[in-house]
Amino acid sequence: MTKEMTAAGLHPAASMYAEELKAGKLSRREFLSRTTALGVSAVAAYGLMGMSAPARAQDAKIGGVIRCAMEVKGTKDPRLADWPQISNIYRGWLEYLIQYNADGTFEGRLLESWEANADATQYTLKVRQGVTWNNGEPFTADDVVRNFARWTDGNVEGNAMASRFPGLVDEATKTIREGAVVKVDDTTVQLNLSASDVAVVPNLADYPAAVVHSSFVDGEDPATNPIGTGPYVPQEVSVGQKAVLVRAPNHTWWGGTAPLDEIHYIDFGTDPSTMVSLAGSDEIDCNYETVGDFIEQLDALGWKKLEVVTAATIVVRMNSASSELYKDKAVRQAIQLAVDPKVVLELGYSNLGTTAENHHACPVHPEYAALPPQVIDPSKLKPALEAAGMADAELEVISLDDGWEAATTAAVVAQLKDAGANVKHTVMPGSTFWNDWQKYPFSSTTWNHRPLAVQNMSLAYTSTGSWNETGMANADFDAAMVKALSLAEADARREQMVTLQTILQDEGYIIQPYWRSLFAHVKEGFNVERHPSNEHQHYKWSVA
Amino acid sequence: MLMFVVRRLGLMILTALALTFIVFFLTNLRPNLEKLARTEGSVRMSEEAVDQWIIQNGHGGSVFVRYGEWMGLMPGWVLTDEKGTVRGRCITATNTPETAPRYCGVLQGDWGFSTFFKKPVLDSLGEKLAATGWLMLAVMLVMVPASLLIGVLSGMREGSRTDRALSTFSIASTATPEYVSGVILVALLASPVVGLSPLLASWGWIEGKTLFLGTATSAIDDITFWNFTLPVMTIALYGIGYIARMTRASMTEVMTAQYIRTARLKGVSFGAVVVKHALRNALIAPFTVIMLQFPWLLNGVVIVETLFNYKGFGWTLVQAAGNNDINLLLGCSVVAVFVVLVTQLISDVGYVFLNPRIRLS
Repeated sequence: MTKEMTAAGLHPAASMYAEELKAGKLSRREFLSRTTALGVSAVAAYGLMGMSAPARAQDAKIGGVIRCAMEVKGTKDPRLADWPQISNIYRGWLEYLIQYNADGTFEGRLLESWEANADATQYTLKVRQGVTWNNGEPFTADDVVRNFARWTDGNVEGNAMASRFPGLVDEATKTIREGAVVKVDDTTVQLNLSASDVAVVPNLADYPAAVVHSSFVDGEDPATNPIGTGPYVPQEVSVGQKAVLVRAPNHTWWGGTAPLDEIHYIDFGTDPSTMVSLAGSDEIDCNYETVGDFIEQLDALGWKKLEVVTAATIVVRMNSASSELYKDKAVRQAIQLAVDPKVVLELGYSNLGTTAENHHACPVHPEYAALPPQVIDPSKLKPALEAAGMADAELEVISLDDGWEAATTAAVVAQLKDAGANVKHTVMPGSTFWNDWQKYPFSSTTWNHRPLAVQNMSLAYTSTGSWNETGMANADFDAAMVKALSLAEADARREQMVTLQTILQDEGYIIQPYWRSLFAHVKEGFNVERHPSNEHQHYKWSVA
Repeated sequence: MLMFVVRRLGLMILTALALTFIVFFLTNLRPNLEKLARTEGSVRMSEEAVDQWIIQNGHGGSVFVRYGEWMGLMPGWVLTDEKGTVRGRCITATNTPETAPRYCGVLQGDWGFSTFFKKPVLDSLGEKLAATGWLMLAVMLVMVPASLLIGVLSGMREGSRTDRALSTFSIASTATPEYVSGVILVALLASPVVGLSPLLASWGWIEGKTLFLGTATSAIDDITFWNFTLPVMTIALYGIGYIARMTRASMTEVMTAQYIRTARLKGVSFGAVVVKHALRNALIAPFTVIMLQFPWLLNGVVIVETLFNYKGFGWTLVQAAGNNDINLLLGCSVVAVFVVLVTQLISDVGYVFLNPRIRLS
């Protein structure tokens, strides 16, 4: 590790977490996630746990090539990138200020450290020293300021970063606000936000937030003039075919020596069955993702299974805004508690995940609060429906027509039927399903992994949330969310999370049965890592 | 003869014009442009951003004017965006707005830029056609001798046991479309889990886990027996049956002709009759069919290249259509017209040499 532990730099909450960890109130993963989000380095965090950080790339053998099956999409201006696959190629030479690690921690890469003030309106970023671009120029605070200006430019069509930093943007010009990002000195940059924002750190770690050089022409393909700080450069990017990353010539990477000599991405199309025949014929060493039945088939070929639990999930939810049937809270609660998440996970997703608790906060989220377990009781559904005068009402559950989404919804429907409800399952093709996904009375929706629980919850369950699909409008929930979103300290936020999770569970709108695990496979003798956001952090890869 | 060739070339240009305009019109329909904007810009773009993208990238205005720009009959579009950068059809990384030519279309030798491959259409089409060329060559080398042999063998003695057996084979193979035979071949020979490969591997007859490779992606760099057999067999099987049936029909007809009977009565051996007297006449019809196979192969490769992930012309066509890559699709159309009409020209000219009774013009 290149980072040093400095007692002075530790956030006051960090030692508090350490106490909680010792008392057994926190898991190691939660502890790491929370403390590092506060700006405590991973080494320091492990130190607080009384452990040393896990052995890293330095111990790995230098040299070797890994061939990975992944769709090779054309590289484009990082802030426009709309697929993780795109970023995995430019990750070779473009790096990030902050990195989201597979264990849930945040780690400074081009930043040495960062600090937030008490209400998350001001962030102080310390720029890492000794980083150079592969053309020899040093990486400085000016580069950081310039990239923030790029990210916040809302006039660029499709800029994925523009909406991430509302507190830095001048609403009139849709560009960076005067004085929002200030270079304090050569190594320090200060962010002055107009409102509290806890998502700054995860947003800086997301895949469109790659840091580009001053010579980068906005909107151009970064592979044409690959100036970056990372250890590799692209030798070839042939869309739909192949991308090859090789060591950057005459460049001393600040992180030392990345183990691999080359990384080859080969595009074999999107048919998952191809993966099996490729693995069988030794065309690849690892793949981007393994899905469904193919997980077992690749296991059977003797490949190593890589699994990561994520906060990606499916929500089977009722909507009180578009249907009279679900206005009664008692009915919703009875429906929610008639469905056993364990059964749904098994039938709908072949046990390829972990059960959830109907409140859309996952243990991998730093601010997750453990609630007392719910009591599943299908026998209460029928009386509840009768009490509401809905004994004969037909409940229609809508889902996609195929895949695990359909299977999961079918498992929910079957349990409701067993509990005595008059329920029907309607399937729709993807082309029509997504047109009205927010308005269906009762339907299933897939949700992606986001590093913080409040990110999904504020989008989906506040009364003004842009992706609110339940019609839930709970003033207490909204108020608690406003508070939670102003607390950079994950600990204080967790107190609000208890309220948020309890209300969401109690409102009974959602049946959120499980968290999906993501899988990939790798051949014996190769070390790669499965990341919850599908990131390929190449410097961690090696050949044994 | 010359007039005939000239007329054919004229027809080719007319067809190319008509086809490219149809393709241009269809790819420039509003929903297709929106899709292009979303793949090129970002899937998260708002409606207004999409509208702006379409105009800013020269897809606004009349479809005829833009077709003219592509042809090189109209000056290329030039626009200044909100940041004051001048962009235009003819402005590339290597020239400036001042030095850029006014016209840059097919007539000037500029086939445009492929939005999917991120490089000029001509460069990408060239290498893809070369890849498909190798595939077609391999298919022809397998298909033509095999089908002629089967056709001649079954046609020389109509109704014999050989004829029945070979006819059954050719009808079965030609009745199986490529997307069926390809999948069956992969399952049977190239899967490490099902079919023959695990069996052979457990007996120790093959070294790897599969007998053949189920994808031909690596054949782009290096064609081997292992990675190229299945795609070649998939296309060839269909053609073999078809050409064999044609050859058989032609052969049986020739074998009943008067001059064959005369030769036999003269005491010429059966073998000599077949090789010296019957074969040349019997091959006239299959020759046309074989030449017709080229344009059909160009279609056949669409399915097979997609199935086996061989990055050639057919795969390019699928990607170009799937991503609404206007310039690339237009390039593909011109190539297709060219291949169809040139092979037809060769077949017509060749016919004259095979059959002295036919005269062109």
